[in-house]
Amino acid sequence: MLNKLALSGIRHRMRDYTVLFSGLIIASAIFYMFLSLAINKTFLSSNSPAAATAFIFGFGIILLAIITIVYINYANSFLLSMRQKEYGMFMMLGAKSSKISRMIFVETFAIGTISTLIGLAIGIIATKYVSQMVISALDMQVKHFDSFYLPALIWTFVFFILLFIFSAIRNSITLRRTKVLTLLHKDSQPAKIKRNGALKVIQAIIGIVFLAIGYYVMWYMGKNALFIYLGVPIALVTIVIGTYFTINAAITAVISMLKRNERFAQKGLNNFTLSQLSFRISDYTKILSMVSIMFALALGAITVGLGFQNQIDTVVNGQNYYDVAVHNADTAQKSRINHLSGDDQFNYSYKADDKGKVLYYRQSEFKKQPFHYEAFNMKSMIATTKKSSNIADPNVSYSMLQNMMPKYRMSQVKMVSDAEFDKIQAKTDTLTLVKTTSFKDNLSKIKAISKEESKRYPELKQAGGDKYSAYTLINGFFSGLEFMGFFLGIAFLAMLASCLMFKILSGANGDVKRYNMLHKIGTRQKMLRSTINKEIAVLFAVPAGLGIIHVLLGLQMFKGILYKPYTHIEIPFGIFIVLYLCYYFLTRYLYKKIVLK
Amino acid sequence: MQKIVEVKNVEKIYGKADEKQFKALSDVNFEVQPGEFVGIMGASGSGKTTLLNILSTLDTPTSGSVKIAGQDITKLKTNEMADFRANKIGFIFQDFNLLENLTAYENIALPLALQNVSPKKIKPAVTAITEKLGLTEILNHYPTELSGGQKQRVAAARALVHEPSIVFGDEPTGALDSKSARALMDTMTKINQEDNVSILLVTHDPFSASYCDRILFIKDGEIGQELKKEDSSRGEFYQEILDSLGTFVE
Repeated sequence: MLNKLALSGIRHRMRDYTVLFSGLIIASAIFYMFLSLAINKTFLSSNSPAAATAFIFGFGIILLAIITIVYINYANSFLLSMRQKEYGMFMMLGAKSSKISRMIFVETFAIGTISTLIGLAIGIIATKYVSQMVISALDMQVKHFDSFYLPALIWTFVFFILLFIFSAIRNSITLRRTKVLTLLHKDSQPAKIKRNGALKVIQAIIGIVFLAIGYYVMWYMGKNALFIYLGVPIALVTIVIGTYFTINAAITAVISMLKRNERFAQKGLNNFTLSQLSFRISDYTKILSMVSIMFALALGAITVGLGFQNQIDTVVNGQNYYDVAVHNADTAQKSRINHLSGDDQFNYSYKADDKGKVLYYRQSEFKKQPFHYEAFNMKSMIATTKKSSNIADPNVSYSMLQNMMPKYRMSQVKMVSDAEFDKIQAKTDTLTLVKTTSFKDNLSKIKAISKEESKRYPELKQAGGDKYSAYTLINGFFSGLEFMGFFLGIAFLAMLASCLMFKILSGANGDVKRYNMLHKIGTRQKMLRSTINKEIAVLFAVPAGLGIIHVLLGLQMFKGILYKPYTHIEIPFGIFIVLYLCYYFLTRYLYKKIVLK
Repeated sequence: MQKIVEVKNVEKIYGKADEKQFKALSDVNFEVQPGEFVGIMGASGSGKTTLLNILSTLDTPTSGSVKIAGQDITKLKTNEMADFRANKIGFIFQDFNLLENLTAYENIALPLALQNVSPKKIKPAVTAITEKLGLTEILNHYPTELSGGQKQRVAAARALVHEPSIVFGDEPTGALDSKSARALMDTMTKINQEDNVSILLVTHDPFSASYCDRILFIKDGEIGQELKKEDSSRGEFYQEILDSLGTFVE
């Protein structure tokens, strides 16, 4: 009978359970997806340019495991907050506490197992499509990647089942130990009031000092790569502590400052919102600091991952000024070239002496169309574009020869007048060089031209030399790292944002009475909605803001490895903010469903 | 003079037409004059809470009209209802319903802030009402730091601070000990008499009811008997209430 009642209780709260289930399913799916990469040794060794990748992934597994544990913890307390009143009622009606604790054990465990199994199935499917999507979106080359990987499947299952056994035991102990009356009136337990201004000031100072130390260490690591083994742990510890105290004290200080400002506080429900927040912050400090740290790690992972992608462009563009090199263009190649956007075409005629040791070029052509080349500065690691009409200059001829047929690459270059050129007894060849508006935008067309050239002149296949072959080489090198950064980042974000969501929703039941009272004394629904929006917005914005600061300063760490780590930073930030906003809107929607009538 | 409350032929039926219906109120008629202190008494399930919800725009009647301070509240839209509650009505609930994360002062100031009264005007208004109710000492305390009686006086101050047309009390002494209950009722009487505030009290407690000028008895959704205090003392009136409860309930 009690089981039947408990089941009907679940049916009545289907929406909340749907949220819980989908959260858990997503968690196990993500865990599987990550493991399928991280413990797949063939995938790692064939895709990573550095030996450090295995280490980075190992670190990633630990972080993901920690956040999963925390996540399950929050999901579990959300479950308990939904159920305790009902179980309290069963106990009041005379159900034995051993019976009740067995019921909550079974319920927790069943929810966990079912969602893990569904999550694994979704994980396998998602791994397939997500990886394909990411791979094609970024034009990456990923080898030995299979969406079904048995060891990952087993590990994920074992890990989650263990977590749920622990959660189930914890829930049953909690229920057994709590008094029936407390369970029944859990919602109306008054919040404790703490007044300790002096302590808060000290905390605020400690928090900001620790953050400063952490940021400094990261900046220092960017300059001294060897410091990394000591620097990373120091930065982690100081930033974690700093974040915790900053949120606990500094944010509270801001809120009480706003409260003291009567013009602001005494307007509409502002005071209520501020008070809700100041009461929440102490309760939320742990999760908010965790979220902000994880947010930073995730955002950092994506930014660095994309940083490698940007690196590809820079490195590729530094290889060769011209996007396309075509030898003795036939009509088919000519028409392909004409389809490139904004084509800046350069045609150079040349003749080779009978041994191919000397190449003759027309001086007049270079006068008309100066040759462009990339001069690489070893010190600043930056390539700058230069142009010259003197092809005989060794710096210039070196770049020119790169575009030539492999057999001419060691030749000597000479510039001659038109009259002299005509006198040379040899076949005239032409080299067509094209600079498009953007290598990336024309990638597929350039690829076709390059493929055709290799078909026409098979010797080019091995030798490369044009920009496209440089691109394929470099792209393969960086793709593995990028893929990992992307994957880790999105996985983390999804988990931590839903951690925050569950934490906020767990508190929603306690807020029902407050909002009901505000409704009774004549607060418009619109105003109630807006105060909920504001409150949840702050709870989401605080960790996001701190996390963004962490990333912006943390990127200093990568200055040694990445060329310009801040370029295109708006892309990862944009992706993040959009995803994060989705969670924000979902949370406030669900919260209002619980709190408002 | 304009009546504060005017209830005409109010009927409330729960349940849809095709379901089993329940009539919570049938043909309720009464009026409250300005400055009157009226009690509505009845047992549990008699319909007093339904009536109070309708009077306070939290619920709408199935038929009939309710006018408060000359305005027909049954025709208001949702937002207008909220504004109406915020401007014209003061509430005192059995379980205080204070926000425990606001101090006493902030709780009392809330209705004014909701009406967007300027902060400059909020302070004098709160000070005036708290002085009258003897709350000056505890203004910076949070509700959890207050006794039940203090909490209810804070709630009373909140109900009065915006000078509503009428104060509704829903078993305001229900959660109080006898001493605090007596103090609260004395305060309400004082406000009623000195400031001419109209009060409508819903209760099943004869002691609280004995402070009223007039009592309406409600049973099974209908108003039956009416009792007036007139010149009798509170003690005598209390006895009268007990007597009529004895006959009315059977």
